[in-house]
Amino acid sequence: MMENIQATLNRGPAVQAAKPIKMKTKDVTVHYGAKQALNGVTLNIPENQVTALIGPSGCGKSTYLRCLNRMNDTIDIAKVGGEILLDGEDVYDPDIDVVELRARVGMVFQKPNPFPKSIFDNVAYGPKIHGLARSKQELDEIVHTSLRRAGLYKEVHDRLDEPGTGLSGGQQQRLCIARAIAVSPEVILMDEPCSALDPIATATVEELIDELRENYTIVIVTHSMQQAARVSQLTAMFHLGDLAEVGPTEKMFSNPDDKRTQDYITGRFG
Amino acid sequence: MSDATANGIAATAAERKPRRDIGIGRRYAAERRFKAYGIIAIAIGLAFLVMLLTSIISKGYTAFWQTEIKVPITFTEKVLGTPEQAVKSQTKLLMANYPQLARDGLVQLLGISADDKKAVSAANGLISSGTRVTLRDMVMNDLSIIGTTEDVWLYASSELDSAMKGQYDLSVPENRRPISDLQLEYIDKLKSQGAIEERFNWGLFTFGASSRAETAGLGVAIIGSFYMMLIVLALALPIGVAASIYLEEFAPKNKFTDLIEVNINNLAAVPSIVFGLLGLAVFINWFGLPRSAPLVGGLVLTLMTLPTIIIATRAALRAVPPSIRWAALGLGASRTQTIFHHVLPLAAPGILTGTIIGLAQALGETAPLLLIGMVAFVADYPATPMEPATALPVQIYMWANEAERAFVERTSGAIIILLAFLAIMNLTAIFLRRRFERRW
Amino acid sequence: MSTFTIILVVLAIGLAGAFLGYRHSRALQAPAGVKPHSRPVYHASYVASWAIIPSLLLLAVWLIASPIVIESQVRGSFPEGVLAESQLTEDLAYGIVESLGNGLSVLPDDERATVTDEMPVKDLAALLRNRGLPVASASADWMVPLALDIDTMQFWSRLAMTVVVIALALAGAYWGYRQIAPRLRARNKVEGVVKGALIAASSIAIMTTIGIVFSMLFETIDFFSRISPAEFFFGTVWEPRFSAAGSTGNAGSFGFIPLLAGTLYISAVAMLIAVPIGLFAAIYMAEYADNRTRSVVKPLLEVLAGIPTIVYGFFALVTVGPFLRDLSAQISGIVTGDYASFIQAQSVLTAGLVMAIMLIPFVSSLSDDIITSVPQSLRDGSLGLGATRSETVKRVILPAALPGIVSALLLTASRAIGETMIVVLAAGVAANLTINPFDAMTTITVKIVAQLTGDLEFNSPQTLVAFALGMTLFVITLCLNVYALYIVRKYKEQYE
Repeated sequence: MMENIQATLNRGPAVQAAKPIKMKTKDVTVHYGAKQALNGVTLNIPENQVTALIGPSGCGKSTYLRCLNRMNDTIDIAKVGGEILLDGEDVYDPDIDVVELRARVGMVFQKPNPFPKSIFDNVAYGPKIHGLARSKQELDEIVHTSLRRAGLYKEVHDRLDEPGTGLSGGQQQRLCIARAIAVSPEVILMDEPCSALDPIATATVEELIDELRENYTIVIVTHSMQQAARVSQLTAMFHLGDLAEVGPTEKMFSNPDDKRTQDYITGRFG
Repeated sequence: MSDATANGIAATAAERKPRRDIGIGRRYAAERRFKAYGIIAIAIGLAFLVMLLTSIISKGYTAFWQTEIKVPITFTEKVLGTPEQAVKSQTKLLMANYPQLARDGLVQLLGISADDKKAVSAANGLISSGTRVTLRDMVMNDLSIIGTTEDVWLYASSELDSAMKGQYDLSVPENRRPISDLQLEYIDKLKSQGAIEERFNWGLFTFGASSRAETAGLGVAIIGSFYMMLIVLALALPIGVAASIYLEEFAPKNKFTDLIEVNINNLAAVPSIVFGLLGLAVFINWFGLPRSAPLVGGLVLTLMTLPTIIIATRAALRAVPPSIRWAALGLGASRTQTIFHHVLPLAAPGILTGTIIGLAQALGETAPLLLIGMVAFVADYPATPMEPATALPVQIYMWANEAERAFVERTSGAIIILLAFLAIMNLTAIFLRRRFERRW
Repeated sequence: MSTFTIILVVLAIGLAGAFLGYRHSRALQAPAGVKPHSRPVYHASYVASWAIIPSLLLLAVWLIASPIVIESQVRGSFPEGVLAESQLTEDLAYGIVESLGNGLSVLPDDERATVTDEMPVKDLAALLRNRGLPVASASADWMVPLALDIDTMQFWSRLAMTVVVIALALAGAYWGYRQIAPRLRARNKVEGVVKGALIAASSIAIMTTIGIVFSMLFETIDFFSRISPAEFFFGTVWEPRFSAAGSTGNAGSFGFIPLLAGTLYISAVAMLIAVPIGLFAAIYMAEYADNRTRSVVKPLLEVLAGIPTIVYGFFALVTVGPFLRDLSAQISGIVTGDYASFIQAQSVLTAGLVMAIMLIPFVSSLSDDIITSVPQSLRDGSLGLGATRSETVKRVILPAALPGIVSALLLTASRAIGETMIVVLAAGVAANLTINPFDAMTTITVKIVAQLTGDLEFNSPQTLVAFALGMTLFVITLCLNVYALYIVRKYKEQYE
């Protein structure tokens, strides 16, 4: 197990010089009704890097992710506390508009969820509602570019008007990524984007994530430590609602400080 | 891949600092409008409900009271004959002029001269002609009453009743209203003597059909509806449960099962009047069952209720987790045993709830009953489900067609009673669901 | 013996057989070595099944067949003169003979003995009238012997039935009892019977549909043999005249178009009001309302669905209709100075408006179901891109739910078209052909009720037309329902 991860790391991207901080979170807590799901998480997310959130299931990593663009608002009983700053602005500030926030912080979900519309309309949906394109040509341009950036264009360019639900699982997930990119967000949140995909589709999506890093800040929740090692520069380890440890990915997998992290990456629990 | 083509949509955060305009103000206005439409829609729906109930209740609550007049009745032999004659032949007693007794009593009470024809007829207009039956029953039950004088509470006529309840506009000229100035004078006189009172209207629940509003009641209709509900319960519940068990637990996936399913779903949506035609053609014309009988009504309503019960029962059976079935089968129980010993008891609350809701639907159903002749003038209680009767909703329909003012009140009163029955049934169903609902 | 008594006797035999079978089976358990296949209770049920099922089946067949056999026998001996007459007269004559025959069995024995083949019919009629049985005036002397025949045949048929059915029950019980043995697979056989009963119960749904179709089909065919289908389906005048029985005079016009127009017009008005209200209410409930609001508002709206339609009809008749009429009088008074109402108390608008109230909960609860079955992931996907709630609803959820909503609307339309009590009281009976929603129009269902209530005379176009109307109504709603169910099935499959 360990050797495996080491091997992956050696092939993985080199740790880069310190980047400016895109999102700062301080003492973030989440309650679902009476149950506390997050007990004060403080974490800085660097710009134009991939930050991986790992940990055993039920540890609160997805809950934390959903706080970053306030998707928890859709759950009636969820209560969020603490401070989450995007470029220095508190996203839970009443003056911050949730629609605007989500246009800046996009999200890709665990299970591919294309709308039951054509491929084109799926990608064009965001730009349309936000009024990002002034003309049909501009919209075409955005859709094509987004599909290209999501690495899907070649596969679907001749059938853009077919339903998005007809694609394979991996293609659907890349369509969802293209859909998120089309809004030109600053941050993309990915909630176990590969968990429903086969290994080949996973590899394609991982490659895509690595490329997207150049232009977007990415936060990815993943179950797979290999995946975290392959795509991320910074890794945060969650355990039972706490942030156990955070550090450069390479260090986390070679020389973790925290006992729980050691146990987890060596497969003692998970 | 395509990094080289990076353009506007892939700008870095730094360049984007002046925030994009994504039309927030306009979009939120649309959001508020949309939400408002929803609230308005719900408000309209609830307003309709309130209007409907207010209209019915305000028109109908007075039906539960009936004006009665306390009249000293002299059971004179002149009218009734002697008790000895009565023992020999009842004909005279049956045919006697009871209204005359009532009129004489009232005339005496009001202190008007018996020769004043106009005054006497005005006074007579205050009493219901239904007094004939009341007085006759009194005498027939107890012959010794003949020759005595007794205070009897008599039903007031529907005109007097309506006047007492303030349903007439008394400011219009005398000839434009059903009650005259003289009669109003008498009413005041009776009031001052304490001889007029509004009492609880038991007759509304017990009387049969009558052309006079004050003696028309729901007795026959309630019994008819009761018989029909019994028949529906006795037939639809076992058949519905049996059909559901077959479809849910045994039926193979094939064309025949599909056909049954489509059939059941379609029957649930077939207009109720079509079932009336079926009842008329099959049960009455073909099987030769009697018209107007609760038996036929019950059979028709059974067929109508079956889909409801089947759909509810199947949902209840489906809610029992398969692990229960596996557990029983694993112990060597046969499928039939598994179903009857384990699955069915667990699904019982759901089945019961569905059945009650189906019964409530059947209780309010009118159209098919019209066609099988339950629109009948039935004055006597039916002893068996084979005898003519009416049903609650049909009685409401018949009264709704009566022009008289007092019938509007009666109709609304009958609707309140019907709605009360339905409310009780539905609340029972809700209670059962809350009490026994099991979450797996 | 009455049928009811026979059934009781058969059940008693079954019960006794079950009891004996139980004892016999218990006794079988004793010999060691062989373990019986089934428990005693199954043996008991096995015996009871043999006793009851075949005999009751025979009873049912006998009850159906006997009158048919008797009727054909009696009709065969009708005088030639009667046979030469029309089918209608012959049916009428048989009806009288049958009621005479049935009357005979009511007479006490001493009076019954006086009735002979030679007795004039008026004497027999007098006897029967004393017993409270009216006799039709068209009776004739030749009917008396036939009535006696019927009475005799009925007597023997019933006697034979009683004997044979009870004998079969006993034989069945004996046969079942003899079969009891340790290795008898009684449980499987009893379960087979149970399963048969279950299948029979579920086929009642099919039987009902068949019953509906055939009961209306025959009468409809009869109707079309008198009035041509073209006249019915394309006629624009509805004016059936009630004519005396047997007279061949003009039966009036049976134009279906005004009824269809009224039905569709009123349904359309109702849908126009109910659909937006119901749909918006459903959307609010599914997408905006919190749990508390939903738990209060939803049941309240469903109360509207639970109110019987006769109540809506009455509401329309005494409240809404007069209100609209007075309102229109006020309006025209203000506009023209002449207080003449332009909305009639019974009008398309009144009926449509009140029907809409009834349909609101129907639309809203069907649509609510459909909208909430759209997967949450689609909502998340849209909200995650920064769409507002209403944008999500309009651009993602409604398009995704469209087929389901269309089917909900079709079911609603079917309901509106088949609605009876509201239109009977609110729409009026005049078969107008108009486009003015303030005028009265009538519907298919109103006319079915009108033609079939009151004194019925079967076999006249006036009553038969009700079945033709019913058949048309059934076919229209059947198409709507089946298509709607088909769509919703496809739709549900998509998200399962």
